Amino acid sequence: MRYHTSLRLAATAILPLVAMPVHAQRMDYDLLSQTMGEPVTKSVTGKPQRQSESPASTIVINHEQILRSPAKDVPSLLNTYAGIDVNHWTAGQSDIAVRGGVQTYNPRLLVLVNGRQVYLDHYGMTDWNLLGIQLEEIQQIELVRGPVGALFGFNAASGVVNIITIDPLASRKIFATAEAGNHGYGRIAGALSMPVSSGVGLRVSGGHMRENERAIPADQIQPARADDVIRDDVSATVDADLDAQTQLSVTGGYARNRQLELLVTQIYSEQLYRTRNIGVHVDRDTPWGSITAQVYNNWLDARYGIGSNDPGRAPIAALQTFDLSARTSVAQTSALVRLSGDDTARIGVEYRDNRVDSGVTFSRITDYSVLSANAMLDVRVADPLSVNLAGRIDTLSLAQSGTIAAITANTARDFDRSFTAFSFNAAAVYQLGGRQTVRLNGGRAVQAPSLVVFGMNIPVAFVGVPLPVVVAGDPAIKPVEVWSAELAYDYRISDALEIKTVAFFTRTNNAIAYPGDNPVLEIHGVTDPFLVTRVANIGNFRTYGVELSARGAIRDHVTWRANYSFTQTDEALPGNARGIEYSFLPGEATARHKANLVIDYSDARWSGSVVGRYTSATRQLSTRPDTFLDLFDVSAALALDAKVGVRLSRTVSAWVAGENLTHASGAAGSPLPADTRLRSGVSLSF
Amino acid sequence: MKSLSYLAGPILAFSAVLPTQPAPSAVLNVPVAARVITFVHPAPVGVVPVAIVYEPGNAASEADAADMERALSNGITIGRATLRTRRVAVSNLGQLSGVKAAFVTTGLRAYQDEVAAAAGAQSVLTITADSACVISGKCVVGITSPNRTQIIVSKAAARRSGIRFGSAFLMLVKEV
Repeated sequence: MRYHTSLRLAATAILPLVAMPVHAQRMDYDLLSQTMGEPVTKSVTGKPQRQSESPASTIVINHEQILRSPAKDVPSLLNTYAGIDVNHWTAGQSDIAVRGGVQTYNPRLLVLVNGRQVYLDHYGMTDWNLLGIQLEEIQQIELVRGPVGALFGFNAASGVVNIITIDPLASRKIFATAEAGNHGYGRIAGALSMPVSSGVGLRVSGGHMRENERAIPADQIQPARADDVIRDDVSATVDADLDAQTQLSVTGGYARNRQLELLVTQIYSEQLYRTRNIGVHVDRDTPWGSITAQVYNNWLDARYGIGSNDPGRAPIAALQTFDLSARTSVAQTSALVRLSGDDTARIGVEYRDNRVDSGVTFSRITDYSVLSANAMLDVRVADPLSVNLAGRIDTLSLAQSGTIAAITANTARDFDRSFTAFSFNAAAVYQLGGRQTVRLNGGRAVQAPSLVVFGMNIPVAFVGVPLPVVVAGDPAIKPVEVWSAELAYDYRISDALEIKTVAFFTRTNNAIAYPGDNPVLEIHGVTDPFLVTRVANIGNFRTYGVELSARGAIRDHVTWRANYSFTQTDEALPGNARGIEYSFLPGEATARHKANLVIDYSDARWSGSVVGRYTSATRQLSTRPDTFLDLFDVSAALALDAKVGVRLSRTVSAWVAGENLTHASGAAGSPLPADTRLRSGVSLSF
Repeated sequence: MKSLSYLAGPILAFSAVLPTQPAPSAVLNVPVAARVITFVHPAPVGVVPVAIVYEPGNAASEADAADMERALSNGITIGRATLRTRRVAVSNLGQLSGVKAAFVTTGLRAYQDEVAAAAGAQSVLTITADSACVISGKCVVGITSPNRTQIIVSKAAARRSGIRFGSAFLMLVKEV
């Protein structure tokens, strides 16, 4: 009854807005980008900025580039840019690493959709099949290379991806898409994004995708099940102009994904995830700047190790079926203030609460809350020189509650812990004559240990070990620090040719890793002894290198871009001094050389894109059939992707596309060899 | 680390000797000017009358006006606004009544005071390629693009015309 009363109250509050004939100024990315002649982003400082004036290296992919690309997911779209490592571990599971540090369940890249975190705090990871939106409704994808902790806090430790959907109040877009391909690929998707009355816009989208898993070689342990990847999602947004200065956005969504994954312990395991979210976002424009407030909740229900407990299957290490539920609640507000001249300041506060409810943790509930304050100052020191300083303090308080596990080495008191972390970004941008930019920046960001890292408590049976073993988290573990520096020079030689050069350095301290082979074992218990192996801070690693990019136009309809990245990774991981004791070897896993060439064609009827991708050889961790962890060679790969599209009428278009047409086994960057995936589709758009 | 120094030097040296494009003449970028109108607070909706202020008999001004009309022929729709242009002679600025914005053609420096007074009285957003008009507080918005699009907004002229822009737009331009 209380629930219905709340609904009525919400309806009473919102319904009058529907008839309100007011039109507020929105942050229309497409219009601003067209006006300024280059992409506009808020992802670096929270302030709208031209890409060329941004104090950090950014990638912005617009709607047209997304539709033209052969890529069928966001990681594949980002894979063709400098400084980005994308590893498609399985057909469904991908991870993106920025400037090295490749690992499964990469925790150092924060991912947002319209400012709402889709990064999953329970493991500190992103499942790219749980974004809950369709590629066709994305306005732009922004990626910041390097730490952005001063704005986003924990987990934007090596970068941030912000995905922005089309503004339903800006224009009407309706589409329906059907695709089919080899390897059992099929996808249907549709979206509606349009004004429904004066000052009210509606976005509704949904989709279903299915495809076969890749073949798993016999030299790696076979999972209990390797079913097709399945992704289902639906989401909706109502945008309303409350008055001439204020916009309200209410969002909600549901996504479901089943896929085979290479776990943090480097064992193949099938998982089923279900997520739900709801949020409210308010923006108010004022004569002195803007105020933003946002509240949202993300829920996750996950089943790990599907089929692992089936009769006849001995549980090995982390291979067993278990369920968990997680919830992330966030409330944040910030004010962006225009000071005198071109200077800007931002202040913000944020509160978040993350909890996981599981039978494989120390107690039923592992919980932490984070209280944060952040500030930014952007100052134009002299006309060509601007300086940006940003800082943020996060205080994390850990807690637990509920029934304590029967076998555990931790105590409730271990979880009575809090720590404070400081993140900062500092940058100077010098512009020469409007065409050349020199940028120097540095920063520090912090990766918080995930809920699982704090509280995991999984009893397992290791082959050949007579005592029970508990794979445990560590409530006393240190957060990971990432320090970075970047020197960049961009030169727009003409409207048809631009080059960008970056030299970067990143150092990651207190890297967290999960137990591997011959792990450090603690003996606990007197009457009923058991062994414990824990996640641990295993040392540090640093990466440095250069990124060279160029783009241009050959003729009216033909554009190109090319890039090369050199990344050197040096490890100092005492935790792995005696072998692969922990499942994290970034030096082996990060490709030293990467190069991409993309040629696009587009006219009123035809469009096409050809992508050449080169990645040098790496070695990736996986588990052998005898259950021992090992490094598997992933050969250097030259992969070719292509897409050709044709507009058959004003509303109908069709395409054929292929990924890895050269059948390069190392193209996925995974111990699971890549295959060639072809597809064709048709789309109706109105 | 040594490899970095080998790479960085040649790249920077190569970049420094590349020629830049010659600066184009000061002609108003009409598509950009049209978009600027939609950033006014509150956002314009429906048919938006836009004046092209020119001087009859001034060849440069008339040619500029003709170019602007061609660029916006049949109206242009941006967001929820459709722009419709009409010519207004600088000698008859009373015709600015009812228009929301005015594109000021080249060659009208001698009339800046009159244009500013009329625009202020009629709450008209004036847009020009002549940044001096904006710096002197006579025009509201200046758009130049010798190397890349630069937009200047005069606070004084905007205040006089009662024009307010959204903060996102203002953070991307230079206010004087």
